[in-house]
Amino acid sequence: MLQSLVPLLVDGLANAALIFFVAVGLTLVFSVLRILNVAHGSFYSIGAYAAASIGLWIVSSGFSPYLTFPALLLSAALVAALFGPLVERTLVRWTYGKSEAVQILVTFGLFLILEDLQRMVFGVQSLYEDTPMALLGITEIGGIVYLNYQLLLIGLAAVVIIGLRLLIRHTRHGKFLAAVVADREVSQTLGIDTNRVFIMAFALGVFLAALGGALATPTSGVAPGLGAETVVLAFAVAAIGGLGQIEGAAIAAVIVGLARVLAIYYAPALDAVAPYLVMLVVLLIRPYGLFGSVTTRRI
Amino acid sequence: MRLLKRYLAAAALIAATPAITLAQDAKRPETLGVGVFTFTSGPAAAYGLPGRNGAEFIIEMINADGGIGGVPLRATFVDEAQGAEGVISEFRRLAGDASNQVMIAALSSANCLALAPVAEQMQVPTIGWNCDTHQLLQEDYDYVFRPNGNTIPEFMAYAAYLLDKKPDVSRVAIINPDYAFGHDAAEIFKAALKAFKPDVEIVAELYPRLGASSFQTEISRLSAARPDVIFSNLWGGDLENFVRQAQPRGLFTTSQVVLALGETVLQRVALPEGVIVGVLGDGWWMSPTSMANEKTQTFAEAYRKKYGEYPVFPTMKMANTFLITKAAYEKAMKANGDAWPTRAQVAEALKGLQTTTLTGEVTIREDNDGIVDQIVGTTVKSAKHDFPVIGDMVRYEGKSLMPPVGQDPFKWISGLDKSFLETLPKPGSYK
Repeated sequence: MLQSLVPLLVDGLANAALIFFVAVGLTLVFSVLRILNVAHGSFYSIGAYAAASIGLWIVSSGFSPYLTFPALLLSAALVAALFGPLVERTLVRWTYGKSEAVQILVTFGLFLILEDLQRMVFGVQSLYEDTPMALLGITEIGGIVYLNYQLLLIGLAAVVIIGLRLLIRHTRHGKFLAAVVADREVSQTLGIDTNRVFIMAFALGVFLAALGGALATPTSGVAPGLGAETVVLAFAVAAIGGLGQIEGAAIAAVIVGLARVLAIYYAPALDAVAPYLVMLVVLLIRPYGLFGSVTTRRI
Repeated sequence: MRLLKRYLAAAALIAATPAITLAQDAKRPETLGVGVFTFTSGPAAAYGLPGRNGAEFIIEMINADGGIGGVPLRATFVDEAQGAEGVISEFRRLAGDASNQVMIAALSSANCLALAPVAEQMQVPTIGWNCDTHQLLQEDYDYVFRPNGNTIPEFMAYAAYLLDKKPDVSRVAIINPDYAFGHDAAEIFKAALKAFKPDVEIVAELYPRLGASSFQTEISRLSAARPDVIFSNLWGGDLENFVRQAQPRGLFTTSQVVLALGETVLQRVALPEGVIVGVLGDGWWMSPTSMANEKTQTFAEAYRKKYGEYPVFPTMKMANTFLITKAAYEKAMKANGDAWPTRAQVAEALKGLQTTTLTGEVTIREDNDGIVDQIVGTTVKSAKHDFPVIGDMVRYEGKSLMPPVGQDPFKWISGLDKSFLETLPKPGSYK
């Protein structure tokens, strides 16, 4: 019995790891900037395209294939450096204090622009770059062969959770983030440069989305439409965990990952809807998500 | 009274409009406009773009040869990735323009099902270049044709080949795309197995979303089911993704894998030897019949020079569809005293049409469905090419795997038994 549960758990965690990177970025941006960024999925797919393109270039240029590992991180950093400050300074900043409808329309418009931009830059055919996966080999768990790269992703997701916790609790900039999340006006009064905190938080969110995309590349193809597929799932995870909750996103990612795996193993017809059924049940019982709390409105 | 006259004049003008259109259609045009529907973006473009390339290439060849009845072809391409609503809208726009006289539509079974009633309503000859679903021609149509065969003979062929190659198969898993084509194929394959070998057990049946980027969990599920055989009609980018993800995880060594559309990825992914693959028809440029056809070899070599790889079967299906269109026009013109035919006359000519294509023969039955042979084989290393090719081939006569016109295909399959297989040629017989 236990032996048959192990593959379920490994698959669930591997699924959860990839969803987590993008969902935690979405929830971080929401907690600091108070906007629901529909274009978040585009940063995921741009990260994936960047990683695939750089990886293919490294391999075709005859450099060491092991350079494709740092290239994954580099791709995410490049995407964050290019799009984070630019998008926050131009479009996103304009929506602060506006209604949720305006914020969603603006970021949805940005999503559409970025989707077309990707088609223009990267073309419409799928890209494949699986060197990191091939270099790491395989492991047999519970009679099923897994890619060591899948196991690495689970470990990396754990590192990101711990890293984010350490960043927020034990660094100066992290404390600024936490202060702005707790009370934006008081933070300003205390002399915290909230504009800078917003740029930092938004760029960090973009980095996490792009990192998710880059890390997904070695085990999946990159094609137009990837961003839309991802952002919907990320919304479900963020909603289940409670918007703005980092640990909530992690636990929700595991729940969603396991739900998808259970559906594929035991009720394949429910594969696509499993995450949203979980979301429906959670929101019916806890409308603010598993770790969200009711916020009192100050007047 | 004056008002009444105006109404009568307007009514007469409206009544005369179809006659005017027909007269325009019947006049020999400067170009023959053709709407061509395929996927040119997204994961499905891996299948759709070779089709588009095939259309461009065969149009160049036909036009260089004087066009059809002296009229050069002019194609307008429509991307099916925009979804059924957009595809229907584009179809209406193109069909509404009298200069477009034929539609080569479409690739996706779902789009074909959506377009068929529109084609009928707009009375434009519509030739499905792919459109595999057997459900397409369950209605009676005058303007909708599917010359390249349907899912019944296509997947019957795989069941027959598999049972000849691996007669002791007992556990079968299926992974197909989650829409009409995937579900139809699974039902036909299961029905054929049940008829020919009733003790076969289906141990897993998965239908991932069309365009899914990751199949890792599905691969784990397939591994856990321990099947003797894994059957799949995944296609395009999905097939390429699945092969790239499944191969390192050992799926191709623990099970006999059957990839119904496997020929499309032979030049792109390093498929191991022994995978059962085919071409959903006879459209392989390297089949013995194609190798003996100088025109086909010229086409394949010229195609490789232009596009950097040899044609795949969607390319050949598309090219063959244009040759069928050309044959229909020539038949219609012959019946029309060499005058340029109307849309209705072209549709009439397509009924019962028999012609030679680049890869074999096609006959269009009275239900507008095409009869084409089915080639299935197994991947083998090639001495000539740096990619695997198809060996141990069989070429089933198209007619032998198709139910009689008007008969429910599943009733027909369920009435067959193991003795049916003995009437079919064996793997390795097509050399």
